[in-house]
Amino acid sequence: MRRFKWLAVVLALALVAAACGDSDSDDTTTTAGDTQTTDTVDLTQGGDLTFHMVTHSDDGPFWSVVKRGMDDACAAVQVACVWSPSVNTPEKQVQDIEAAITAGSDGIAISLASPDQVGPAAEKVVAAGIPLYTLNSGLNQYKALGAVTHIGQTEFVAGQGAGERFSALGVTHVLCARQEQSNVGLEERCEGLADTFSGTVSSEFAGVDQDVPAQEASIAALLAADTSIDAILGVGPIIAISALNASETAGRGAAIGGFDLTPELLDAIEAGTVAFTVDQQQYLQGYLPIILMFWHATNQNTAGGGLPVLTGPGFITPDNATAVKELSAAGTR
Amino acid sequence: MATDVATADVPASVPDERLAYRGPIQRLLVQPEIGALVGAIAIWVFFWAVTVPFGTAGGTANWLDVAATLGIMAVAVAMLMIGGEFDLSAGAMTGATAILVIMLVKDTGELGGAGLSLWIGIPLSLVLALGIGWFNGTLVERTGLPSFIVTLGAFFVIKGAKLGFAKLFFETIQVGRIDEGAGYDFWRKIFSAVWTRNDHIFNSRDIFYVGLLIIGGVAILVGLLELTYKRRTPFNLGGLPITGIGVAAGLVGLFALHATDGIAANFIWAAVMGAGVAIGAYGIALWRFEPNQDRGRLQLSSEVLRLAGIGTGLLALGVVLGLILDSAPKIEDREIVNIFFLLTEQGLRAILFVGLAIAGLVVLLIAASRAKKSSDTSGAALSLYTALGVTVLAFIIRSEAEAPKFRTELFSALLLIALVMATWAVVGLYFAQRRGPDPAADRLGRSLAIGGVLLATLGVVVRLLFTKDSELATLVGQTQFRISILWFIIAAAVATWILARTRFGSWTFAVGGSKSASRQVGVPAARTKTQLFMIVSGAAWLVGMLLAFRLNTIQASTGDGKEFEYIIAAVVGGTLLTGGYGTAAGAAIGALIMAMSQQGIPFAGWNSDWRFVFLGSILLLAVLANNYIRKTAEAAS
Repeated sequence: MRRFKWLAVVLALALVAAACGDSDSDDTTTTAGDTQTTDTVDLTQGGDLTFHMVTHSDDGPFWSVVKRGMDDACAAVQVACVWSPSVNTPEKQVQDIEAAITAGSDGIAISLASPDQVGPAAEKVVAAGIPLYTLNSGLNQYKALGAVTHIGQTEFVAGQGAGERFSALGVTHVLCARQEQSNVGLEERCEGLADTFSGTVSSEFAGVDQDVPAQEASIAALLAADTSIDAILGVGPIIAISALNASETAGRGAAIGGFDLTPELLDAIEAGTVAFTVDQQQYLQGYLPIILMFWHATNQNTAGGGLPVLTGPGFITPDNATAVKELSAAGTR
Repeated sequence: MATDVATADVPASVPDERLAYRGPIQRLLVQPEIGALVGAIAIWVFFWAVTVPFGTAGGTANWLDVAATLGIMAVAVAMLMIGGEFDLSAGAMTGATAILVIMLVKDTGELGGAGLSLWIGIPLSLVLALGIGWFNGTLVERTGLPSFIVTLGAFFVIKGAKLGFAKLFFETIQVGRIDEGAGYDFWRKIFSAVWTRNDHIFNSRDIFYVGLLIIGGVAILVGLLELTYKRRTPFNLGGLPITGIGVAAGLVGLFALHATDGIAANFIWAAVMGAGVAIGAYGIALWRFEPNQDRGRLQLSSEVLRLAGIGTGLLALGVVLGLILDSAPKIEDREIVNIFFLLTEQGLRAILFVGLAIAGLVVLLIAASRAKKSSDTSGAALSLYTALGVTVLAFIIRSEAEAPKFRTELFSALLLIALVMATWAVVGLYFAQRRGPDPAADRLGRSLAIGGVLLATLGVVVRLLFTKDSELATLVGQTQFRISILWFIIAAAVATWILARTRFGSWTFAVGGSKSASRQVGVPAARTKTQLFMIVSGAAWLVGMLLAFRLNTIQASTGDGKEFEYIIAAVVGGTLLTGGYGTAAGAAIGALIMAMSQQGIPFAGWNSDWRFVFLGSILLLAVLANNYIRKTAEAAS
């Protein structure tokens, strides 16, 4: 892994060197040497490029992998990167985007979990002549806002994939349990599920991740209220485990599906108590925007061809859980 | 002298209203938590009525689980708020102590993790938690800055430290596996033991349950009589045989009711039991209380008659509308049912019926209290009339409702209420109320009432904790009561005792009411406040342990943002935001209200999009009712 990264760094820098001409080659070689020994992001070197990644991240298990992808990409192409997590607060995200514009960013990647609130700020990015990319959430809005492309999983397609899996498991009534109340992406997952699933789908908010016991109790209450529920899709990794515990206590033996991954969820899949989890391979959602913005800035390349760049869905089932677990422990899955 | 002239002007027969005797029951109603208690009962009845699982043991375990951790914190936060300060770091601290103890016991080799035994890690984490509380308190005291700002800063620091250290030491935002620590098996029993109801079978449970409820109820009734009526000297032993007859009739009715099966027999034995209660109460009154010399004649003023007419009309209207709407077409639209059950035709019917019935009964009760002013006879007549109204309602519900809980449980409860009202009216007619203090009677009455409440509670607890073979066959899944509920009860009891009975408790009220004034009379204000902050951080430590041992893996954001829920629970429970007023028991009830409202919505199967609308409305109503009751009580006192 480390060897590969080193190669990527050298390769990237060689390309930079080629693009910049011979006069700069001494500098970049030195930089590559530095990177090799320290393996950290050097904010003062790597051209004058600064990229901003402004997301609704809560720095949870999911987003820390995205950030890891961003950090690795920034180290690979030797640029300065700013990570601004807004913790599901659209107002803060808007402020962070405006701050990035003011700072004269060379490229801004944003997640559009709340398109209506954050959309106007995203338009300002385009108006300021800064390349805009969307990641994670924002598939349906990126084009209208003038973003170059969207890097992520289409939530609806991911939900559809989960629906097909539940249909194959032979269950009849899936509870789609959400851990946030007004996140478009989570709603789309449930809508995608309802689209392909052969039986009934109930979509409910079941408590936030900050209070796991209450989340578990809410799911238990929903199970008690409707005895026909025989499967639960938790649209996040923590709520999937809450669903598993609630179902076990209630003696329902419901089939459990999850979204994204945590060590616990992987253990549960390995043990067979959770049927699958939908993996959107979010490392790429942090890595790819930086790389794309880098080539956009240095080589005027625009990837995607007007279509989104999809990073998923991939599925983790008892078959591949062990392999993914090792990668997850390394912090890249 | 001038004062003599002034005194002479006041007729001797009119006592100073400020010195007027207020009975223990009136004094009870001025307690800060009484509004919350009424609200909690109303919310429980509401969700019990509109959902199937809420009132079952499983449903109770569910919402008590949510209430427990919230309640432990709410009780501590209420103490701090009474002391006039806030702690916004309380929520984040619950997650921080959980992560801290895991880090102390985990051995990760190269990076972080002290690898200590839990026997060292747990006390050490408590010391560190208390240190944070001490820091918060000292900083607030030394700088004189508002605690709102100081603890907001502490909140951000703790929140960031949780994330930062977790990622630094473990490279993930989840810190886990406390079960690897030495001594885990012991400490798990302390912090994460579970009582699984399915494993505890007690086949004669219901006899215990009903028996304890009845003994408790009778004790409460006798206690309230003792608190209200005037003792006679010497006692009239002639009352005792009548009491005996009443008790015998009650027992015969009870056992016959338990032994027989069949509607007609049930009604007969229930009537015998009811008569036994009434006769027994009358006998006790005859034995212990002065007869009423001045019961007056039946005089119904035009105002009383008008009120009685309005009340009767409202009741009748409710019944008629309920019957008419029954034949209306039903709404079968699943979407609407999903959003809100109460918007359906059946829901509308229920709202109209319940609303009109309650309005009618309230008007009748007002009429009864007005009538009592003219003469005791008139008051008793109106009370009996109201009891009759309740009985009629009970039978209508029995004939119209479909769910067994309404047909049997609500029906029985309403009949019982009618019986108590009627008994109370008759006793009030024939015996004289006490108009002055009587310590012996107060003590006995209070002990009986409190003992009765405890016995009845014990009955409910027995029913919740044990199952029966016959019940087990139909149960799906396990009902688990977590030890956090016990910790919650302990925390509420200890905090109530501290506030009510210790010097530290008095100091807390003093520094919250007026810090400078309390300091001038010698209260160590700074120390008291710092200790209050330490109580909050100690409670956060307890909740952190409960979380760590329950979940095994804690994520860094655990508890963030919960601090406002603690404050809300305390306020719903009657604690003032301005300090100096409130109780710990009230905060505990506030936590119950929050948990019941939060969990009742998924139990009802309502669309969760409306959850916060509902939650917000309930909280507003609870606070408004609380405020109203307190103002009324203070104005009356």
